[in-house]
Parts: sequence; C-alpha cells; structure tokens
Amino acid sequence: MDNKRYYILFPSHTEGMKMEKLLKENKLKYTIVPTPREISSCCGISIMYSKKDEEKIKVLAQNCNVKTLGFHCVDKKIVNPYL
Amino acid sequence: MEKVRCDIIKLIAILSRIKEEYVIIMADYKKLWTKLGIDLEKHDKLCAVLPELYGGVYLTQKNRPEGMNYFNFVVAEVHGLRIQELDDYKAQGGKVVGTFCVFVPDEVILAAKAIGVGLCSGSQFWVEDGEKVLPRNICPLIKALMGAKVGGTCPYFQSCDMLIGETTCDGKKKAWEILNDYVPVHVMELPQMKREKNCEAWAEEIKEFMSKMEELTGNKITVESLRQGIKTANAKRKALKRLYNLRKYKPSPISGLDVLLISQIAFYDDPDRFVEKLNELCDELDERVKKGVDEGKKRIMITGTPMALPNWKLHSIIEGLNAQVVVEETCTGTRYFENEVCEDGETIDDLVKNLADRYMKINCACFTPNTGRIDDIIKYADEYHVDGVIDFNLSFCHTYAVEHKYVEKSLKEKNIPVIQIETDYSTEDSGQIKTRVEAFLEMI
Repeated sequence: MDNKRYYILFPSHTEGMKMEKLLKENKLKYTIVPTPREISSCCGISIMYSKKDEEKIKVLAQNCNVKTLGFHCVDKKIVNPYL
Repeated sequence: MEKVRCDIIKLIAILSRIKEEYVIIMADYKKLWTKLGIDLEKHDKLCAVLPELYGGVYLTQKNRPEGMNYFNFVVAEVHGLRIQELDDYKAQGGKVVGTFCVFVPDEVILAAKAIGVGLCSGSQFWVEDGEKVLPRNICPLIKALMGAKVGGTCPYFQSCDMLIGETTCDGKKKAWEILNDYVPVHVMELPQMKREKNCEAWAEEIKEFMSKMEELTGNKITVESLRQGIKTANAKRKALKRLYNLRKYKPSPISGLDVLLISQIAFYDDPDRFVEKLNELCDELDERVKKGVDEGKKRIMITGTPMALPNWKLHSIIEGLNAQVVVEETCTGTRYFENEVCEDGETIDDLVKNLADRYMKINCACFTPNTGRIDDIIKYADEYHVDGVIDFNLSFCHTYAVEHKYVEKSLKEKNIPVIQIETDYSTEDSGQIKTRVEAFLEMI
C-alpha cells in the first residue's frame, strides 16, 4: 500500500490561509493538518494535497505570491494508536 | 561555468532565506512559550505526539466534510495561534480565565470582557505529573489538569490570570486548594440538590462570581453586557444544537469523532468565529444529508463522563467498527448546549435568575437525585434513533459509576441495550474495550 503523503509547509499560518483560499477557489482537494514531525519540529499548520495537483499548486503559489517552506513528502504508515 | 556559479550562489541565497524565515517562525512561538513559563523541553514532547495522534485518529477517516478543515486548523494551531491571540488580548489589558466545568457560566466571563478557556485535560501525557501531587486513585481528568499546570506544559493554563473551579466532585474540590498555590482560583459552590433553595443559592454564587470577575477585569457588568454575553453563549448553543440535529438523520452526515472534536474546540475557541465556522460546516452537512446512503452502521449513544481534548479513545474504537456515535449525553456533548438562557429581563437580578434556571437544568451525577439524566438518555435514544447506549465512565469517577446501576435498570426497562465501559486515557486497555464493543454491537 502506498503510504506517501504530500505536504506544503508555510512560514506562517497566514500564508497557509492564503494558499487554502487559492485551493478552494480552484476546487483542488486539500486537508489542513498539523505539520508532521518528520518534516519539521515546528508546531503549526501544513496543507496536505494530492501529488497529481502538485504542479498546478506550485504555479498558483508562485503567481499569487504565497510564501511556502517547500513541498514535502512523508512515506510512513499512519496508525491509529487506539486500534 | 560562470552561469553555474551564479546559479549556485542564487540557490544558496534562497536556501538561507528560507532557513531564516523558518527559524524566525519557530522562535516566535518559542519566545511566547518561554514568556509564559512553559517547560520547553517537556512541552516539545507533547508537540511531537499531536500530529501523529491526530493523523492516526482523524486523517484516516474517509470522506470527511470539507468544513472540518477549520477544525483541523484549530488543532494544528492549538498551542500557537490561539495562545498568541490570548497573549495579544492580555497585552491590551484583557484578562483570561480558565474553567473546568459546564456549570461555570460563560456569559459572566463574556460580560466582564474576559476570555474564558476550557481547561479540562484529556491526555495521558499530563497524568504522570499529576500523580506527583495527587493520589493515583483519582480520575484521569483531574490528574491531567493538575499535571498540565504543575509540569508547566500547557500554554492555556499558563495564560490564565485566574482559574474558576467548582464543587462538582470531591477530587476537583480538593484539587483547587493545590492549584491555588500556582495561580489564583475562585471556587463556585455548586449545590448538590435541585430544590428551590438550591437554585437560589446558585444564583447567589453567580452574583459572587460576577463581582470576582469585575474585580479581576476592572470592567463593570451591566444589564446590557450581561445580555450580550447571554446572546453570544446562546448563539454557540444554537449552532451546536444545529449540528446535533443533523446527526439524527440516517446515516448521520458526520462522524462522531468529528463532532467530538468540534465540541472540544467549542470550549476554547473564539465564540463568534467558532459559530460562523460551525454554521458553514452545517450548511455543507445539509447538502450531505440529501445524498446520504445508509450503510447499516449501528447507531451508538455515549453517556457519562466528559471527554476532554485530546481524548478520542472510545469514539475511535467504536467508529473503527461497524458503528457510528450519533449523540453524546455528556458535558462535552448535549449538557453543554441544551437549553438556552432566556434573554429577557430588565435588571441584573432578572438575568442572573435566567442564568441560574438554565444551568440548574444540567443533569450531572453530582446531584442527588439525578433522574433528569435518565429522562434525557431515554429521550435522546428515541430522537437520535439509537441502537445501543455506552455508559462511559472515567476511572474513579464515583458519582457516574454509582449512577450506572440506575441508568442500566431504566434503559433495560425500555429495552434499550446498554453497557458500561470504565477506562482512562492510556492505550493499554484499547484491545479489551474493542472486544467488548464488538460483542455489544453483535448483540444489538
């Protein structure tokens, strides 16, 4: 099973919110998530996206001047500790 | 060659800029946490657990409503943005108070222009520090809230100018005495019976609480500010009620886990923003209801003790099976929002009476007798089309544990299946609980 998940990190939540607005307007699927520890030890938001939309998102971010801390991938199985 | 060199220099410049920004942002919250007296090293361990726990419990759910993104955001920024907002408010001279119980009237806090945050703690992380000052055979909620303060690992606790305790149980009642060594605690004496004189006594307690809040904030509570506080709190109740009403549909358009999270966030988020976002989510759920296809999941009610953030254990186990939690008759459920406070009245006394009347309708096991709770459970079982009831009991919560006998008897008389599950915040007994819930689902 593919355990790869893709995340955009931001220098601040306001940049993240800008990105969210763009994704919503362009009807791209996304989920706001706490930043995975594997990418950064900084508490705060990231946006999880589909790999197939990556190029589109990058263009959007660039055109609308959204500052990101890059596009990242985490390859790890997510488990529910209660199950 | 020259071009490559230029490109490399450019790249280094970009990378170092990114790194700089990154360090600045990280340092920002750290600076705030340091100012609040947080034990950074220990707190970092907590920060490390959250993304994985949230990922495992919440992000593994399929087909979540898009409106949950706001609540994802609040969780992700739980020790960041909201703490920053509290700090900004304090910098302008505002006050922050922490509460632990649905009996403490938010309306009074709002009327005194303070910010209230619900502090009940739902993580095993804090239990160890709590056990350093409390007996081990006390409920995990009390141990966790104590541990969060004495260990200095909760920025909400650290932001509070005052804590508002209450006398709902013996454990909490005595815990305030210890907490008072760390931060001023005002304790509201909650009556344990519901006779007329008890309701009057509660109204007096609310008045005393008002004076305390006026003293703390320097803001006089007026008829208008109290009425506004009531309106704000009622708007939150209406929005939560709207959400719960949507769960009455088959299938419920939202998971029990997601609703639990929303209820938990209701206790500390900005009330106006929360109401706006929750109503947006409900608009989306209205649409979902139209397209819902019943997959025959068993519909479960949870009744009993509260589930404070991030206690998602029982919901997670139930919804990992072929079942859905459709209503919580708990303090992090219906008890928080049922019954609005009447907004009519000419005087402070009128409004205080309205408050006392509403709050004394909450059916908590600290009262004797507490038959109203049974009536509520039976009513909800019908309204939410419940297949079975799980009486959830945090370990060592005596009032609810004792009350189970009567809950069980009354539900059996109505042919409503019920089991009791007593547990704490650890994951050790998860497998055992899963087996019991599985058997229960097969039976109903």
